[in-house]
Amino acid sequence: MDRMNWGGFQALSHLWLLSLLAPLVLFYFLKLKRPRAEIPSLVLWRQVLQDHRVNSPFQKFKRNLLLLLQILLLLFLVLAALQPFWRGGPGKHRRLPVLVDCSASMGALDKPGGISRLAEAKRRVREMIDGLSSDQELCLISFDNTPRKLTGFTNNKRLLRDALDQIETADVPSDLEQALRLVQALGRSEPFDEVLLFSDGNFPPRVNFDLSFKLNYQRLSPAGPNLGITALSGQRAATSGWDVFVQIEGSADAEGNAAVELFQDGNSMASERITVARGRAQRMVFQTKGDRAASLRVQLTPDGFDSLAADNTAYLDLPESRPLRVFVPKSLVSYRRALQGIQGIQLFPQETSDEASGAFDLVMSDRPQDMDITARTRLSVGFIPPELQRYIEPGTNGSSVVDWRRDAPVLQHVELADLVVLDQPRYAANAGEGDLENLGYEVLIHGQHGPLLVRKQDSDALRFALLFHSDRSTLPYRVGFPIFVANVVQAALEQAGLAEALANRTGVLPPLTLAPQGRYQIQTPGQTVESVTADDHGIVSGVAAPQAGYYSVLENGALRRRAGASLLSPSETALAGVAQIEFNEQLQVAAATAVVKTDWPLWPALLLVALGVMLVEWWFFQKKPGGWK
Amino acid sequence: MTTLLTNSVLDRLQRLRIRPAGKRTSRSRGEHLSGKGGTSTEFCDYRDYTPGDDTRFVDWNIFARLHRPYLKQFHKEEERHVVLLIDASASMKFEGKLNLAKPLAAAFGMMGLLNNERVSAYASHQAGDAPDRLPPCRGRASLRTMFQFIESVEGRGDATLDRAVEMLLRHHSGRGVCVIVSDFLTFGDLKRSFNMLYAAGLEPLGVQILSPQEIEPDVTSDLRLVDSETQETLDISSSADLLNLYQEYRHGLENDLALLCRRRSGRFLPVSSVTPVESVLFDQLRRRGWIE
Repeated sequence: MDRMNWGGFQALSHLWLLSLLAPLVLFYFLKLKRPRAEIPSLVLWRQVLQDHRVNSPFQKFKRNLLLLLQILLLLFLVLAALQPFWRGGPGKHRRLPVLVDCSASMGALDKPGGISRLAEAKRRVREMIDGLSSDQELCLISFDNTPRKLTGFTNNKRLLRDALDQIETADVPSDLEQALRLVQALGRSEPFDEVLLFSDGNFPPRVNFDLSFKLNYQRLSPAGPNLGITALSGQRAATSGWDVFVQIEGSADAEGNAAVELFQDGNSMASERITVARGRAQRMVFQTKGDRAASLRVQLTPDGFDSLAADNTAYLDLPESRPLRVFVPKSLVSYRRALQGIQGIQLFPQETSDEASGAFDLVMSDRPQDMDITARTRLSVGFIPPELQRYIEPGTNGSSVVDWRRDAPVLQHVELADLVVLDQPRYAANAGEGDLENLGYEVLIHGQHGPLLVRKQDSDALRFALLFHSDRSTLPYRVGFPIFVANVVQAALEQAGLAEALANRTGVLPPLTLAPQGRYQIQTPGQTVESVTADDHGIVSGVAAPQAGYYSVLENGALRRRAGASLLSPSETALAGVAQIEFNEQLQVAAATAVVKTDWPLWPALLLVALGVMLVEWWFFQKKPGGWK
Repeated sequence: MTTLLTNSVLDRLQRLRIRPAGKRTSRSRGEHLSGKGGTSTEFCDYRDYTPGDDTRFVDWNIFARLHRPYLKQFHKEEERHVVLLIDASASMKFEGKLNLAKPLAAAFGMMGLLNNERVSAYASHQAGDAPDRLPPCRGRASLRTMFQFIESVEGRGDATLDRAVEMLLRHHSGRGVCVIVSDFLTFGDLKRSFNMLYAAGLEPLGVQILSPQEIEPDVTSDLRLVDSETQETLDISSSADLLNLYQEYRHGLENDLALLCRRRSGRFLPVSSVTPVESVLFDQLRRRGWIE
């Protein structure tokens, strides 16, 4: 019966409830105890009851109407218990994975006081769950930048509803590809034919994925206009302060005025009013002092309706602006001379003293022992680092530059053609560039027989190795030499975090440097607390930051550090939605024009009818008959 | 004098008398003029003398002037009988029906006694038993006796009206009016009873007293109705149609009773038990010409 096209029953096993008819009729006649009312005489009443009109079939029916109504009521209740449904469409699937986008843009409202895109998606999914028949199973998967499987394939409506209620927007962009890969993996164990995708379409139109199933792309209606902060960074200013750059963008239909206010450590420092034209970005710069580390918050307050609030606040942590501590032995005269022309540098050892202790930001040396000095950036000159000595051998036959990475920051604007090098570092036998890459090195300058400059980026240190001594080359005499030194200084500034400060994006917080093996609690903007332990180097990494806001690092309840995370996603702020997704092999999936047809459960209507029957019963028999005309 | 009627009512009743639709009087001499000629002192008419007439009634003055004999005729004043039949069955105890029936009967009785008519009263209680009876009496001196009899009437039993009329006629003689104060809710054949009354020379004056619950039953659910007299039961399910039929039958009963009375030169009046006795006497009965 439940295989019929027009519909069926989800709980046909409840048919046994019809047996309740027997006790209903039995109890009706047993329980029918009328209240006694003594009257002067039955003369008139007997005559009335003997009237043929009272004894007409309809009147007999009315006399037993109470029983008939009760039977009708029970029938409706039993019918409702059978959970009948009206088939929504012919193409029903037994298993159906449902992907629900919960990225930041899904939190955008459609109108003032309206509902978010996610709420709309959840409403539609809930309708599907309500209409789920016993032979159908749903698998709920939410995805933002990572997919999460919320339930397995199940038709447990309570489980599905609970899982659906747990879905909340995360202030991160969405990654459809990851979600589809999860679904694809799911299909290996539990096959299905179609996947349902609820999204506003705010993802790249091209997805690098081989679609192996039918994708039903249910694109949600677009949200209202939105303005948001899409970029926030700090640049070291010449006056030992910071230039804070803010970029405001909007969705395609957003335009209007807004106020941008800068807060430093909770205090309002500056405020500006801006006008954002449709499709245009607005940029502005604030100046702040760099005498101490500061926590900045930029607040955007649009004058009109703003559909997405998550991108209206951005956070930026600025370190103390201090001089770059550079160690260069006095033997490297050319480097020291080049450094003297660069502002904001403390050069050690000083000319008048040999004292050079403590940590440095940059070490440039031609002495291998100086590489043991604690520094975040090192430039070794004229010798081969020990770990490379297996693959690179020194030589004295001279070499020249074959090619160099012109796009490498450290070699920008450095012309190396015709550079004469007396040393000849060369690859050892059976060694090559691949061996260096295996060690994490990147060759920046290629010589005739081997690399001349390599670079290695560790988690906390940046290392350059000039494999020939610059004093035995024409490099110090080239125009590009001071540029090269300045680039190294710039790299050291960036490595030390003194050149530029970028606002952290939501998703995962950058590694936090704390005490080694320290145990901390991370308090999120949603006031949830997560325990973390620093590694041997005091680094805490991989802290999830799905929501924009401050993440506080607590140690035994005391605040140790605070890091802000901001959405800063032009695509999320733009609220753009693709109407068609293009997959590999030019496979295209367009947004569905019709909403998903769900089975229409009839039991609520039956319950309403049963309630109506009950009210009629009450009204007919309890209401004063005078009112029944 | 009595607790049944207030002094003001008694005072007003002294000036009223029963006005029957027909002239039903006994042969006995009384105060009601008969249609036939009589020997009273009140002159009525002249007629030609015919041989055999009593010459005492010849008007000799006219004979002297006209030389023709004319006979003087005089009204005949006959006695009228007022019979009070009070339905004192258990059904009359409901909602003050008997409390209105007794003063009404007392009022009719008082008007009869004060107008020198013979008054007798009957109160029916138990079916098969003879009704309590006040023998015919007349004159102001019998007022107290009549009031005491009526005051002593209590509602009980399952007497039917037709049976009560039958028992009444066994003791009654004389023409007049029979005031029946009852709810007329009886299974018996009232047509036969009214015919018997009419044949006995009694003009039926029916006063039907119904309680408000009988006039407008407040039935709001399924009920088991119990007859107060017979304890029989009847199950009904409340519905507007049923109540409409009830009203139809009640009005039909009223019309039948009115027709029964009217065809026998009688009158019929339905009243509610909550209607004040003054209103019934001096408003309804007087306006309808029952009393004057």
